Amino acid sequence: MIRADIVRLYKTVHTWTGITCGFALFIAFYAGALTMFQEPIARWASPPAVGVAAVPLDDVPRLLELVAAASPQARAEGIKLHLRGHENEPARVTWEEDEPHEAGQPHGHVHWWGTLNPDGTLLAKPEEPSELAEFINDIHMRVGIPRPWGSYVMGVISLLYGVALIAGVITLLPSLVKDFLELRVGTNLKRMWLDAHNVVGITALPFHIAIAITATALSLSGPLWSAQEHVIFGGKQAILDKLDNVPYRAPKPVGEAAAMMAPAQLLQKLKEQVPDFEPRFLIFKNFGDKAASVRVPGSERGYVGDYHLGGVMLSAVTGELINDRTRPSRQDPDRRASETFYGLHAGHYQGSTVAWAYFFLGLSGAWLFYSGNLLWIETRRKTARKGGKVEQSRSTRLLGSATIGVCLGCVAGISVTIVAAKWLHGRVADLNHWHELIYYVVFLGSVAWAFAWGAARSAVHLLWLCTAATAAIPLTTLAALLFPMLGMWAHGSIATVGVDVVAFIGALCFGWMAVATQRRVTTGPADSIWSVRKADGARPPREPAAAPAE
Amino acid sequence: MPGDSRSDAWRPDWWGKASAGAILGFGLALSLVGLYAYLGPGGIEAPGGRYSLMRYLEVFVWTAVFGFCFLFRSGRSAWAWLGAANLIAFAALFACRFVFFA
Repeated sequence: MIRADIVRLYKTVHTWTGITCGFALFIAFYAGALTMFQEPIARWASPPAVGVAAVPLDDVPRLLELVAAASPQARAEGIKLHLRGHENEPARVTWEEDEPHEAGQPHGHVHWWGTLNPDGTLLAKPEEPSELAEFINDIHMRVGIPRPWGSYVMGVISLLYGVALIAGVITLLPSLVKDFLELRVGTNLKRMWLDAHNVVGITALPFHIAIAITATALSLSGPLWSAQEHVIFGGKQAILDKLDNVPYRAPKPVGEAAAMMAPAQLLQKLKEQVPDFEPRFLIFKNFGDKAASVRVPGSERGYVGDYHLGGVMLSAVTGELINDRTRPSRQDPDRRASETFYGLHAGHYQGSTVAWAYFFLGLSGAWLFYSGNLLWIETRRKTARKGGKVEQSRSTRLLGSATIGVCLGCVAGISVTIVAAKWLHGRVADLNHWHELIYYVVFLGSVAWAFAWGAARSAVHLLWLCTAATAAIPLTTLAALLFPMLGMWAHGSIATVGVDVVAFIGALCFGWMAVATQRRVTTGPADSIWSVRKADGARPPREPAAAPAE
Repeated sequence: MPGDSRSDAWRPDWWGKASAGAILGFGLALSLVGLYAYLGPGGIEAPGGRYSLMRYLEVFVWTAVFGFCFLFRSGRSAWAWLGAANLIAFAALFACRFVFFA
């Protein structure tokens, strides 16, 4: 049996790590849950385009030739050939060019896509792809704080989150066997919330441990690597790093022209040499040269791993493997273990089943931090006795407002900025910039609103805002379908319709929460920060000071 | 830290223990993964997947030490035990780096 004073200290640790990190973790988990479907969201937000199908694979050699001739930079640095025909692949090939800049200075890139005109000539256009899905991922990684500081902040918060997990489990241990899975629904609301908080936390514990460890490591990789280099390797890590990048480097052009193998044939050769490999796209370098190469990022059946790191490189002339050291089954054991850790964070294994599981685990995690804050407030609640009137303390009122503003502001901000992808497309110059602006305005506006109106009133307002904003996602698609003159689009693929369906179900959930909250603030106990009623009666009886930090 | 340092009683010492867990926990994590880098399979010349993996192992140790450091009897004993562990681990690491595998 653990001594009572140890459990008490761990309860303090759990409370304070939870309160300090809860807000950021809610945002990270909610946006992270959505990031499980980053690709469907990117497809939903992409305007109709020429598409991959416009140029059949058999006509691709001509297209590549024309692009390589038109853009020396693309020829040298890479022409991307798309294979899947998703809505966020604007055409068969895309490439990037530098914005005009002074040599050696940081600069942006212009994204181009290219297709064939009916007469066989090249049609190339610069067009910025939607970065909406990346932006949601960014919110998840840095809670909206600019890099690199956002990463450092999230790294420290994830570390404290790991400490909070350990502290929470130790706090719960003495009563775990007795109370576990016992949800005491009843008049004691705090008891019920605590039971629910514990059940959700304990059942999802393996997920939370994996996320806490990996999130800290991923957010702090820069500083951690720097510390390793200084203390452990003393210069050797930089050498290893260079060696590590060799397999990704394309052979240098030799300046001799050669006939290129057609992509359809290259894919056939790839399949013969690496049967279990699923290519994502092809990147051609030095097209037309005797040393031309094609890098194929992709995943390997039966192996966890991010497709960015895994891949093979073929000769674009012969289709022979130049390098396959980076594909999962050929990686060194340490890389494999590291990739597995990353896969555990990103849910990159077992396909859509695990993606959905992570989606719901992420949402349940967000709920865990939200309910943790509510429990802190309930623990400090002053009860009105004998019809007396009590004022709740300043700290509980402020934490209540902050919890409502930050959590619901994040939800509403993300929904509104998703909707903007269709309404603002073609109407503003820099849509990706607008996505950020809209999110911050809605988020900060919600926080201000919550402090101005108090937790009870603003919770109802903001839940209706969340409902409306989230319902606007499928309604926008419906409007695009019904009123083509609006200039918006409604894709028909399962992935993009799925975004609309999930948003619709989400809106129903927010609406239900809004109705339930409305009922509570009007008819619930008046001696709560969740009530708009003022308990009437005599002056409040003197309350004992709340116990410091339970 | 207030209180009688000779007392054997368990004390919360919340800041003393937390600072030991955060600072010395990181030191212990760094030195232990350093030992893994030199003594693990393949040694210090192992391919670069090694240092990519090390950050996860490092955080695992750091979180565990930080999380469990409140079990120490007092802040002073947390600093003493973790400090000793750091000294040993760093001595072994620097012996590897500057003597055995220099």
